[in-house]
Amino acid sequence: MQLLKKRFLTPVFALASAAILAAPIFSASLASEDEAEEEPDTYLAVIGGDIYTGTGEVLRSATLLSKNGKIEQIGYDLYLPEGTKELDARGLRVYPGLVALSATTRLSQGTFAAGLDFHEFKPHADNEGICGDCGKDLEVIVPPALDPGEYSTEHLAVEGLKSDFDDSYDPYNGFLVMALGNGITTVQQSNTAIKLRRGRIDDVTMSDKTMTSFSWSGSNPSGKADLRDKFRAATNYLVEFRRWEELVKKDKELKEPSQKGIDSRALEVLQGRSMAKFNANSADDLLGIARLAQTNKFRPVIGGCVEGWIVAEELGRAGAYAIVTPRTRSDRTETLTRESGSSIENAAILHAAGVQVAVVPADTSIDMGGISGRDLLHLPIEAGFAVRGGMSDKAALESITIVPARLLGIDHRVGTLEVGKDADLVLTDGDILHYQTFVQYTVVGGEQVYDKQEEVFYAHIRPRAEVAVDAGEEVTEEVTEEVTPASTEE
Amino acid sequence: MKNILIGVSCALSLQLAAPASTTGGTPDLFALRVGSAETITQGTIPHAVILIEHGKIVMIGQDLEIERGIPVIDRPDWVAMPGLVNCYSRAGMTSSGSNGTVPSTMASTELYPNQPVYGDLLDLGITTLGLYPPGNGIPGQAIAIRTSGSTLDEMLLSDGVYLKMLMRSNPSSKKMIRDAFEKADEYGEDVVKAREKWEKEVEKWEKEQKKSKDKDKKEEGKAAAGGDAEEDPGPGEFVEPAPDGIAGPFLSLRSKELSAMISIRKAGDYLHLLDALGEEEFDWCLRVPLRTDIDLYEIKDQLGEDKRTVVVEPRLTLMPWTMRERNIPDELSRAGANVVFVPNEDDMNNQKDWRLHVGHVVKRGMDYQAALRAMTLGPAEVLGLGERLGSLDAGKDANIIFFSGDPLQPTSKLEMVMIDGEFVSEEVVR
Repeated sequence: MQLLKKRFLTPVFALASAAILAAPIFSASLASEDEAEEEPDTYLAVIGGDIYTGTGEVLRSATLLSKNGKIEQIGYDLYLPEGTKELDARGLRVYPGLVALSATTRLSQGTFAAGLDFHEFKPHADNEGICGDCGKDLEVIVPPALDPGEYSTEHLAVEGLKSDFDDSYDPYNGFLVMALGNGITTVQQSNTAIKLRRGRIDDVTMSDKTMTSFSWSGSNPSGKADLRDKFRAATNYLVEFRRWEELVKKDKELKEPSQKGIDSRALEVLQGRSMAKFNANSADDLLGIARLAQTNKFRPVIGGCVEGWIVAEELGRAGAYAIVTPRTRSDRTETLTRESGSSIENAAILHAAGVQVAVVPADTSIDMGGISGRDLLHLPIEAGFAVRGGMSDKAALESITIVPARLLGIDHRVGTLEVGKDADLVLTDGDILHYQTFVQYTVVGGEQVYDKQEEVFYAHIRPRAEVAVDAGEEVTEEVTEEVTPASTEE
Repeated sequence: MKNILIGVSCALSLQLAAPASTTGGTPDLFALRVGSAETITQGTIPHAVILIEHGKIVMIGQDLEIERGIPVIDRPDWVAMPGLVNCYSRAGMTSSGSNGTVPSTMASTELYPNQPVYGDLLDLGITTLGLYPPGNGIPGQAIAIRTSGSTLDEMLLSDGVYLKMLMRSNPSSKKMIRDAFEKADEYGEDVVKAREKWEKEVEKWEKEQKKSKDKDKKEEGKAAAGGDAEEDPGPGEFVEPAPDGIAGPFLSLRSKELSAMISIRKAGDYLHLLDALGEEEFDWCLRVPLRTDIDLYEIKDQLGEDKRTVVVEPRLTLMPWTMRERNIPDELSRAGANVVFVPNEDDMNNQKDWRLHVGHVVKRGMDYQAALRAMTLGPAEVLGLGERLGSLDAGKDANIIFFSGDPLQPTSKLEMVMIDGEFVSEEVVR
């Protein structure tokens, strides 16, 4: 908040003094001092793009107006208040910002070992860049993975949700810019949803601990039985509890049913406070999870779900969410009489059966070493492979926007372009699911945070055409042959 | 060179017949005439004459007329500039660091004077050193020393010049800073409580006094000769409780008796630092080790707007993820930040090459005067000695170094070092 104040103070004073100067001439426009001290509304208009709202509609050559980071209006011939920043989107498509599940913590922590605990390294007495214990350069000591269990709910502060990620967020790091440059504006870090804000550290955490992990594996029958018992006990407890809630109205003496021995995690799921997350691939396991969910009336989230297409109907009836990677390959098991193995149609079949499908790439790190094309930056490409397997474009877009947003409990803020939601937008030069498409601009919270031509990563590849569009003139998509200095550097 | 000097002093003794006051061979009052002087505050003065008395600069100007009788050292081929100030060093110190909030630790306790390293630094033209305590967290307070002298008293310029703090983007680091200021708040509450307690005691004592007086009166009536009852001295003046080792320095920060140097590692840390500091106001500067791929340029406008002092190495860096060169000192300086240089590494070679490295940054665009300031007055201000050191101005200590040409030109030779009006470097005075 302090920072926010700082950011706005100068322009406010500037405005105030401007108002005083202008007073004799435009006395009518003289704002009272109280008004001048308030933070001015900030507007951004994305003009003339084809707006893919993510809810199925496409508004051709429409305008989206954001006010203070929220979508104020989408439509045509909008009134743009004075001082509105304009972003020319003619010839571009406008999509909701993508939501990346289980993304590498590099995105929010940066490259400079930011996640290191403050007291974990001892810089050398004479050179603070070197670790006193191991003599290594501190830059190369990789931050330890963050344990999701470490986060306490103490941070659920009054003024807004906070997680430990708020205090270690690096708003300038290159991975973050790369993610923005590939259309990703919201990421899951451990069990926290983070908005990729650039250059500021406020309002970063969007949700915390929305999923609880459970293990369900065919190789561990007793574990399965155990989990079944836990859910059964929790269900029974809830039934008892609700009955007691009714009866206690008449008989005040009645004792509340004891929570003793009831698995708190299962209870959390059944009470709707978090979602049950499983990792399972074989049809047998998937079937088991579907039955468990149906019996106990919760909606499971299933990561992997490679053989989901075989038991899609069951999963659909259980109201399951599936987190799939369409390009996953696993061979058919010849010894089985039933169907087995992966299918490119997996996502499409699951979706057709009513399963909410989210897509993640094979690797959710950002890495060019050997997995190029399958890392987090290829999230929309991965969704494109779901289309190849028969999924509709609409469902494929949903699988990287609104469905993961639902899993993170933030679908009221991101995932589609609707009035009142966060103005997190991606402007592309083509179908976002197409491999040739580049993100041209990214907007987060109503602020332009990425411009392809301004960053080092992709500016030299098919540089944006400098299209001179005057009123009435046709938009010409001319690609200049000029190369930027970046690409000539050998 | 030695010959010349001897010649000068011979001439002096002939002219003035005044005994040289010190071993350095300079009289109490003398004038230096040099080819030019980099004053830092008034730019370059060609044909500069510097009048020095009792180790202080009395006057400086172009072609000043020198009163008859004042000895003159005439070196028209020399370029004079203030002695270099390295405000961030561990030279000659060996202790290993602490790992928490120990702001009362004073670096002066580990100063072992009379080590050759200080003389070596002096020979390189570094006349003032800031020495900081080692460690993480809030390891303590730095000192400022002269690089000449053989006892602590002789060397010490100022103790407790800045409180060193390390800030990283993580919850524990932010909490550490907030906790320390909270301690200062708690101390304030303790004082209030102690005062209340004292006031109660006073009240009680006054009541008792009144009572005993009444009693005395009654007793006087009964027996006039009973008045040798012991006088209760009462609770006395209110004495504030002493602040503890954490609250003390942080109260000094708030009262601006102490400043802080806060070390960060990347641009993002700065935002978290501002967040952690909240509305606390005190004097602080920023220390940022310039690593090859640092992203400090991201906050240059903010640093410029805040007119923040930023202590960095004279180092060219790379745009992250690329091989494109960036000149962050130049960018910061142009944005309006107050750039202060420290040698690239805290070893002898880098101290030696310090001006060479600065020259490199200047060659790549940094303003020449800003660069000179970043080695002299800038660091002197960090040490709280800006009134006394760092520029060639009347009233300042005569810490002057002399080059055969442009100080940042690698081929220029350091001809002479003067500290407090005395030529010190025997090796240089050949």
